[in-house]
Amino acid sequence: MSQLDTVANTNRWRGKSLTEKSLLALGMLVIAVSVPSWQGALLVAILMTVATLLGARVPVRVWWQTMIAPVGFLLVGVISLALQVDAHLHVGLAPQGIELAGRLAARALAGVTCLLFLALTTPAAHLVSGMRRIGVPAEIAELALLIYRFLFLLTDTAESMHAAQAARLGHSTYRRHLRSLGLLIANLMPRAMSRAKALEVGLAARGWRGELRVLSPARGVSVAGVATILVIELLVIAFGLHTA
Amino acid sequence: MRLLEARELTHTYPGAVHALNRLNLYVERGRRLAILGANGSGKTTLLLHLNGTLRPHSGQVLLDGQATGYDSASLTAWRRRVGLVLQNADDQLFAATVAEDISFGPLNLGMSETDARQRVDFALSALHIHDLADRPTHMLSFGQKKRVAIAGLLAMQPEILLLDEPTAGLDHQGLEDLLVVLAELGSHHTTLVFTTHDVELAYRFADEIALFESGTTLAQGPTAQILSNSELLRAAGLEPPLLLKLGLRARELGLLSPDEPLPRTADAALALFSLLSLKKP
Repeated sequence: MSQLDTVANTNRWRGKSLTEKSLLALGMLVIAVSVPSWQGALLVAILMTVATLLGARVPVRVWWQTMIAPVGFLLVGVISLALQVDAHLHVGLAPQGIELAGRLAARALAGVTCLLFLALTTPAAHLVSGMRRIGVPAEIAELALLIYRFLFLLTDTAESMHAAQAARLGHSTYRRHLRSLGLLIANLMPRAMSRAKALEVGLAARGWRGELRVLSPARGVSVAGVATILVIELLVIAFGLHTA
Repeated sequence: MRLLEARELTHTYPGAVHALNRLNLYVERGRRLAILGANGSGKTTLLLHLNGTLRPHSGQVLLDGQATGYDSASLTAWRRRVGLVLQNADDQLFAATVAEDISFGPLNLGMSETDARQRVDFALSALHIHDLADRPTHMLSFGQKKRVAIAGLLAMQPEILLLDEPTAGLDHQGLEDLLVVLAELGSHHTTLVFTTHDVELAYRFADEIALFESGTTLAQGPTAQILSNSELLRAAGLEPPLLLKLGLRARELGLLSPDEPLPRTADAALALFSLLSLKKP
């Protein structure tokens, strides 16, 4: 979680305009699910991986760690598609099962790489300000922002409480571990509440009257960037149609 | 001119301890006031009264000699003039990046985006944190968070800045940097009020001291006068600062004439005592 956030805030494409990045990621996503050939979807997956790792220079380790969970789900789903169980409980390959599974895997993989590209190259703040710009109600955008902020406060608090318990051997046996964990969770709530209350005082001191308005950084969209993305996407579509 | 004044403030928390007990205090324009007291003496509670967060059970707060109101319009006007920086910077920062967070106050003042952007720039340069502008607030160090929290209030250009234990937890360099910044603010007509339990800091930085004990002011006056009264300090659970003791001793030894100012930094005190070796045969 915090690793993902760090990468999103430090990668080489962090400052690129949100419009360009989402045009690339979401455009490719649409192509991945709608292009008729599986080779087209595979090409999308390859291109987006290259963009993430070589373009934005996201560390391979972080990329793979975020990738592994959806890939795991994908494998489980794909295997069950490829196999079938007949009336005599014999497990065998489904007719065209491999082909079907391959198609699905290619598309799903492409989809995952698109979303990961966006998540790993774009700070959450930019996503929220983007949400606002496309007309998501301010309340929802503010909630998203506050939840995001509190996530880190809460995990920090939980981590230091955990360390303090461990220092007093609170996690030395499984039994104690469960007990300490229960105490931790029970104490986290009142702490979170008092944190929230303190934040309210802090914000009120700065003139807060119920609306969290901040200046969102203006990022210029480059025509060349948008054009490049569109050309690449058209080429991928052409490839997808050609291999169908 | 008394810019801000507390008269006979009393506040009791549930549990029946007097947090503030008929407290009197005044803030004069352009001076640096230290509210000096031991832990738990009610300093934070007082600051929360001085910007209207808490309402006294009796007594009143006066701005420019006028009793303050507690309706939302008065509170807004009040907080526009009196800024409060909390001790824990995390209680104040909420936005995703530093520049965005600093823009929050100016926008709440109803400023246009262009004006707010200028205020953000002003606050970033006043705190020397231009390089942090686009950093996410949760990825900052402790000292950096502190500065961003101060910048967030400074961007609103209040007349008085209340700081709750501004130096607590800062390392040496962080402290030195912060004091430079605060001194610059002070010279730009921001009246500074800060709480501390550190007599050395109060001696070094404050023009005036309000000595605090059990929710009331034992005395308020010029720094050297309050801090040289060791009896008074002991009553508040404190000791006179070492530098002041050295300065007074230097006067006794004739190293410093009575009308010369007492040393306020370690270097100045050391320079005085190096005279000692010259005097000896």
